[in-house]
Amino acid sequence: MMNRMDATRFEALADAHGAAIGRWPLAEQDAAFAYLAEAPEAAQALLDQARVLDEALDTLRPPSPSLALRDAVLSAAPRPKAGWSLGRWLAGAGVGAALAAACAAGVVIGVDIAAPSSATGLDAVSQTVAVEDDWFALPDMESQS
Amino acid sequence: MARVGRGDQAAIQALVARKLPRMLQLAQRMLGDAAEAEDVAQEVFVRAWRQAPRWVPGAARFDTWLHRVALNLCYDRLRRRREQPMAEPPEQVDTGPAPDRGLLARDTGTRVTAALAALPERQREALVLCHYQDLGNIEAASLMGVSVEALESLLSRGRRALRVALADLRE
Repeated sequence: MMNRMDATRFEALADAHGAAIGRWPLAEQDAAFAYLAEAPEAAQALLDQARVLDEALDTLRPPSPSLALRDAVLSAAPRPKAGWSLGRWLAGAGVGAALAAACAAGVVIGVDIAAPSSATGLDAVSQTVAVEDDWFALPDMESQS
Repeated sequence: MARVGRGDQAAIQALVARKLPRMLQLAQRMLGDAAEAEDVAQEVFVRAWRQAPRWVPGAARFDTWLHRVALNLCYDRLRRRREQPMAEPPEQVDTGPAPDRGLLARDTGTRVTAALAALPERQREALVLCHYQDLGNIEAASLMGVSVEALESLLSRGRRALRVALADLRE
């Protein structure tokens, strides 16, 4: 059950909290709106009086932090923990293995090209493409790890 | 806060974007000095970063905790000002009615700043927390360690003093 508000209480609240009823104590807002509907002229006059000071107070704009302050605050912030998690170790190991495989494939292809072979030029190209596919597949593998 | 404590840069950036202007405003309104306010805001975050890994969700609102730290730092500085009077006091801003000249917003701001600075500290704190920081009466009273009735009294007296100091602005 909502308590009724009288003029004295309405005035005291406007005096303390200003013209915005939404910023008054939560428990009294409903009664304040009810009083405003019940005695609009008297209530509005009190709110108008309070609004003059609110507007003067609001001429002070919130200060903007300087870039130097922002940078100083951010530079002191916690950093991600260094060290090797299992995921990172696996990703690193994957990159290492792929690089080793790419080197090995390069040697094999080089030998194939240098030595007389039955492989056609088309086969050599397809092998090179296969190596390149492995190389470019790495970022995807990493993102899944 | 858990992400901040782990050094998650996105969480840290978001927290700073949201809370740094708020802490700077609190300190500036309490101290009336931009350079000191920056020092306080920076120190608030140094303590926040230290606290972040130990933050327990639900133990307290982080915003309330930041306000508590900032207010303590402001009170330390205000106390030091009282204990060590400055050799050369800062230029006093005339808070009296302005003579025949149009008041620009900047003039009004200067007058409001001076009128706020002239308030007793507890009245200023109540006004800053409720009007500028937009805290509810229960949270502001709790931060100040007073009852909601006492907070209301501080607000009323503060606003009454400001109305007198700024009476000519309504003309």
